[in-house]
Amino acid sequence: MQNLLKFFKTIFLIDLVKGMWVTLKYTPQPAFTFQYPAERRPVAPRFRGVLRLQVEPETGAQTCIVCDQCAKACPDDLIDLGGHREPGLKIKVLDYFDFNLSRCSFCGLCSEVCPTKPIKALIMSEDYELGSYNRDLQILRVDEMYDGVPIENYSR
Amino acid sequence: MGLIEQRFDDNIITTNLDKILNWARQSSLWPLGFGLACCAIEMMAASASRFDISRFGAEVFRASPRQADLMIVAGTVTKKMAPVLRRLYDQMPEPKWVISMGSCSNAGGPFPTYSVLQGVDKIVPVDVYISGCPPRPEALLYGLMRLQDKIRKENTVLRKARVIKSGESEPVLVEDRG
Repeated sequence: MQNLLKFFKTIFLIDLVKGMWVTLKYTPQPAFTFQYPAERRPVAPRFRGVLRLQVEPETGAQTCIVCDQCAKACPDDLIDLGGHREPGLKIKVLDYFDFNLSRCSFCGLCSEVCPTKPIKALIMSEDYELGSYNRDLQILRVDEMYDGVPIENYSR
Repeated sequence: MGLIEQRFDDNIITTNLDKILNWARQSSLWPLGFGLACCAIEMMAASASRFDISRFGAEVFRASPRQADLMIVAGTVTKKMAPVLRRLYDQMPEPKWVISMGSCSNAGGPFPTYSVLQGVDKIVPVDVYISGCPPRPEALLYGLMRLQDKIRKENTVLRKARVIKSGESEPVLVEDRG
């Protein structure tokens, strides 16, 4: 009896049909591939991308008060910033803000300690497309900190 | 150096041949699966169906260096691993490219210690550095597209020097550095 059952299973390819049925069940589903360069997946609400300096939205004035807390909070000492006082102004004027992206582990401690209110000067933005041909270009200067990392074109 | 590589001057045949060869190279980059740490998880995610690195022709993760064109160094390179990495890079056939994925292989990341290599460009010439800790799968695809841009502009049969931007330091083995 057992042998006969096995014989019929072999003849009618029962195991193969069972396997193909699983394949067939998944076939009519639409593909869930993100067509990445054309279609961008929204990031999670607390996603930490590359560091970004913010300005006042209405006036475009500087919000960073050059308190150096982000540089102190950074566990890898990647941030170096400095400024000077000007007679008429209450806050320091930001001269340079060098951020070494190449070592950054995107922990967000720097933006967490940033004390400026109501607009945070230093935020973790939603930019994650970071690729460069050269390690020197991974040190972001103050322009790139305000405007975001530009897409670099390769030139021979 | 092959029979035809970088041996011809500009004319209509060689420039078109160059374009065809570069197109073939950029659209069938076979990576060497070099996952060393958590970046390898994102590399696996990039090769799975949601992000699908095969849309860029780079889905065939080879287990052996002889069949690979591209080395994606994904993760922390320790100094114990560095000679192995260099050997695998040397075993890859020309033309070959290297993507350094993540902060650890870019510059050592959060490990400025005696046991971690401070940047994989100290031992192999890196073409594209992808920042992130770890980079998202999209960031890896973005880096791959940047590399494809680079390959498209390379000289294959034309007689000009191939430029490898390898950072400041010349690629040397770890033992040679005092």
